[in-house]
Amino acid sequence: MVKLPTSWKTIHKKLAAAVILIIILAALPLFIENDYIKHLLIMACVGTILGMSFSMLFSTGLISLGAGAFYAVGAYISATLAMNSGISFWLAFPLTIIIASILALGVGAIFVRNGGIAFVIITLLFASAVVIAAGQIEFLGGWGGIIGIPKPTPLGPIQFGSKTPYYYLILIILLLVVLAYYALYTSYIGRAWKAIKLSPNLAGTLGINQYNYRLLAFTIASTTAAAAGSFYAHYFQTVTPGAFSGWLSIYIQLYAVLGGLEFYVMGPAVGSIIMTFIPEYLRIIKEYEPIVTGILLLLVILFFQGGILGTIINAAKSNNRNNGQAIHSIKSWLQKNKNPGAGER
Amino acid sequence: MALLEVRNVTKIFGGLVAVRDLSLDIREGEILGLIGPNGAGKSTLFNIIGGFIVPNKGKIQFKGELITGLRIDEIAQKGIARIFQEPTLFMQETVFENVLSGFHQHYTQPLWKAFLHTPGANSEEADKEKKASEIIEFMGLSSFSGELAANLPHGHQRALAIAIALATEPDLLLLDEPVTGMNPTETMEMVEKIKKIRNKGITVLIVEHDMKAVMSLCDRIVVLSLGVKIAENTPADIRKDEQVIEAYLGKQVI
Repeated sequence: MVKLPTSWKTIHKKLAAAVILIIILAALPLFIENDYIKHLLIMACVGTILGMSFSMLFSTGLISLGAGAFYAVGAYISATLAMNSGISFWLAFPLTIIIASILALGVGAIFVRNGGIAFVIITLLFASAVVIAAGQIEFLGGWGGIIGIPKPTPLGPIQFGSKTPYYYLILIILLLVVLAYYALYTSYIGRAWKAIKLSPNLAGTLGINQYNYRLLAFTIASTTAAAAGSFYAHYFQTVTPGAFSGWLSIYIQLYAVLGGLEFYVMGPAVGSIIMTFIPEYLRIIKEYEPIVTGILLLLVILFFQGGILGTIINAAKSNNRNNGQAIHSIKSWLQKNKNPGAGER
Repeated sequence: MALLEVRNVTKIFGGLVAVRDLSLDIREGEILGLIGPNGAGKSTLFNIIGGFIVPNKGKIQFKGELITGLRIDEIAQKGIARIFQEPTLFMQETVFENVLSGFHQHYTQPLWKAFLHTPGANSEEADKEKKASEIIEFMGLSSFSGELAANLPHGHQRALAIAIALATEPDLLLLDEPVTGMNPTETMEMVEKIKKIRNKGITVLIVEHDMKAVMSLCDRIVVLSLGVKIAENTPADIRKDEQVIEAYLGKQVI
């Protein structure tokens, strides 16, 4: 009898954990009075979505330094639609998704021809170009940006006056994104992405079209970022080019790296929460805050490779091994040394 | 008609002629051995058939269809699978996931159905999982199903590479040195496996230095030397071929 993969055994545990997590997240506003904390929670959700979009490209072996570009594109599309056509957020949001997905498909068709460092540089330049273009184009409000974007119109009895409705709105968007991404990663689509990342040559000999699958990932990831951008525009009611500067893409990347690059959903969530809240609590030291944050990040990246989640899981695993699999690990160590290089690629 | 026809293929790297005006046929259902000293052009020919290298001259036809110039994934979709000389696996995945990835091109459900996990997509997934288990069992890897590929011993990594290739359900399987580095017992096991694979109706092209394995396995053998075909015959006649003995084998070996 062939053993089932471990993921099948843990699927019920995962489901239970997800339900508990959702209940906690949904109940949070009931216990938080402070509007500023609520604002940080909202931004942590936005950051998680952006980090997940970075991770999706990473899952195909591409590193994007332009993760913020389509966030900006989405924000500007949504803002322009709302300001010029007078449509509400509820229409602007799906329209933004449609327009952004078409744009992403077109841009991606050119970008994903290149892998490796070329893709990193192209996306970095693209992100800068988007910011500069937004600043230069009068129609988009120039460097002053677009101000006075309307709030989402009331949804039945729900008024978008306080932070709480925004929190629930972004939480629902986040949950939908998580669900969609999870569905993708657990299908043959996600498996093909991973195959391309782990070994492009082997993936090719299995009949996986690298270009098509990377283009699919680029389009989905960019559209997701644009959806977050649409929310951003109607939440802040202002979009300016400066808000989407180069640091943004670096930060988005850090969310994913900090949480753990191999955790496509939970990694960005953990990283985003930490990166949103820690700097706020370091405010006591005022202007030194960026330095301390930077040093903390460096330490984590240098000494906790695999990110926070990776470190925790590895620790748990080695603990497990000590409790019974010691013989097995010695065996595999002996095997590895018998065939040098067999363990690595 | 031959399953695969190599016609007048020449490949030049810089000033070095790796393969010169080479023609050969692989007949349906046979195990064809490709032997020759290092630098004879065996790996180059493998890479040309697999689409990793485009030849300077000549063409390759598979099932009567021209495949020179196609991308590696297109060639794979035509029904040619290959294993690499160095074990090339998804090292950080389990054995089971590795084999499951091999089925990629046989998923018939469209992307959106796979995304929505429709009943059709789920039953297809279950079907592939069942087939993956069967292949794992066939290759003798059942007890390693949940193990990471990176943690497998060398011989089992070879077996896994073949298992992944089998998952692509190929008509032609290219094996680059499948028994190199194995002990005699492992080698004989692998030889039996390859015979069984052929009995499933899969044609096999094999490059191997282990003469005992090649002689006991192959229906026909092609000998390359310095990029040129110097002999093509049954194992029994290859043993007697003066030119082959001179060029490569050495009298003691046989």
